[in-house]
Amino acid sequence: MKISTTSNVDVKGAPVKKGAFHGFSTPFPTPLIPIFIFLLFFFLWPITALTGNAFKSNEGAFTFSNITMLFQDPYRMAFKNSISLGLISALVGAIPGLAIAIAIEKQGSRVLKKFISSISGVLANTGGVPLAFMFLAAFGPAGLVITALKSVGIDLYGLGFNLFSFTGLIIVYAYFQIPIMVIVITPALTSLRKEWKDSAASLGASKFQYWLKVGIPILMPSFIACYLLLFASAFSAFATARAMTVGNIALVPLQIGSLIDGNVTINQANLGYALAFGMIVVSLFAMIPYIWIQSRTAKWQNR
Amino acid sequence: MKNLGSKLILVVTGIFIFFPIYAATEFSFRSGATHSHGLAAYRWIFEQSGFLENLGITMRITTLAVVLNLAIMVPTVTWLHLSGQRFKRMIEILTILPLIIPVVALATGAQLAMPDFMQNSVYELSFMYVVVAMPYTYRALDIGLSGHSLSTLTNAARNLGASWLKTLTSVVIPTIRPSVLAALFLMIALSLGEFTLAQLLHWTTFPVWVTNVSQQNVMGATALGMGSLFFAWILLFGFSFLGGKSSMTVQEEE
Repeated sequence: MKISTTSNVDVKGAPVKKGAFHGFSTPFPTPLIPIFIFLLFFFLWPITALTGNAFKSNEGAFTFSNITMLFQDPYRMAFKNSISLGLISALVGAIPGLAIAIAIEKQGSRVLKKFISSISGVLANTGGVPLAFMFLAAFGPAGLVITALKSVGIDLYGLGFNLFSFTGLIIVYAYFQIPIMVIVITPALTSLRKEWKDSAASLGASKFQYWLKVGIPILMPSFIACYLLLFASAFSAFATARAMTVGNIALVPLQIGSLIDGNVTINQANLGYALAFGMIVVSLFAMIPYIWIQSRTAKWQNR
Repeated sequence: MKNLGSKLILVVTGIFIFFPIYAATEFSFRSGATHSHGLAAYRWIFEQSGFLENLGITMRITTLAVVLNLAIMVPTVTWLHLSGQRFKRMIEILTILPLIIPVVALATGAQLAMPDFMQNSVYELSFMYVVVAMPYTYRALDIGLSGHSLSTLTNAARNLGASWLKTLTSVVIPTIRPSVLAALFLMIALSLGEFTLAQLLHWTTFPVWVTNVSQQNVMGATALGMGSLFFAWILLFGFSFLGGKSSMTVQEEE
């Protein structure tokens, strides 16, 4: 994912004429009004309202009590679970995702690349109940893999495996995390120029030395950025978490869901807003470095 | 050796991706507890009330989201490339924000802030979906536009007397067709399967309906889950094929 493509020259290297769209180049960016209104109304306003309510008591007075509740169980536990789920799931998605992206780059066949990029886009959006039932059919107590293993004498559930557990959740999340990783890391891989590999080789570097001194240092920032993106994706996943757990694992998105859904007394709504505010804070910690890294690497990744 | 390693990775991941699809498909054709196969589970889907109705709702929400998305993003990104360079950085950061804010939080905030006339219409979801898809649709269009010297083309069109609208529809859009299709594809993918916003804003869309009826019948729910996935995949593959074909020809021209 390229973030910054800012440049004052077009592809052919000719300077872009300012105001090429005659009549559109006023000092105030009039053409941006629609997107501003859209983001203001459907994004910034809801977030502001949410933040405001996170600091309100049920009587409407300013309070920190909702926020301090976040540091007490069961909410503290939920944050701990959601954050570890994010951290582990991101790793489980990032490493195979990187390996696949490298494998595809190496294979180099355009048809394969096209196929993988299409299928990744589709799989990255798979989640919720359909995904849960796919894994239930394969790895559930009566699933194909489990019954097949049982017939050869291996009882996975007897050994303590359970699809509806924290580990199970990580396996299921990998189904959309790996494709997301493939999508977001591929642009970084294509920026590893073949010339660098050739020049390293002609200077006598081994393949291992090339990766150690050139490949890994160049890919590292992008890899970390993609890892953070995957963290945010797993940390905030709601549909799949809801379909895969039966109240046995405390997760923040699910707690917000049940506090806001009206299943509980109305005086807990503000606590739900505080939980949502807490999620935003955690995501900011992950995503600010993401934006920073992306904008730094984009500068030289653009040829 | 190296090639063997990368092939192995592709095969293992391929199994991880396709086996659950196979398992669930096989499961959905089973008839009851017996191991004979049939279409019973699929017949069950059509017996459930609300199937067509909710599919219709989701299709209408998706259509509006696609129209809104294109109407806002295509002119905005085009302008940014042609004369709004200095605002590009700002819009880049603004459009990545929906990726930072968890959808659960956005839904919660929307419930608080949206005025009643929006909250009383299921189409509020279309507007929210456009925002949630923005990090992806903006980037898809931006990458597509970066590959063309649009200013030359639009200047030529303007000098030949084309109106703004004419320039946009006859020059800009055909030039960036692959990236417009990619943005369209991302918007449809998101909108067809979106559950969180719909559920938390108390609307029954197709994914919410699937979740609700799935509690009654495991076999039927598997059939429904697979059916809805295949429906979305066929639709999306169709679009990505359209987009992919033309982006390849563009590459070859360059």
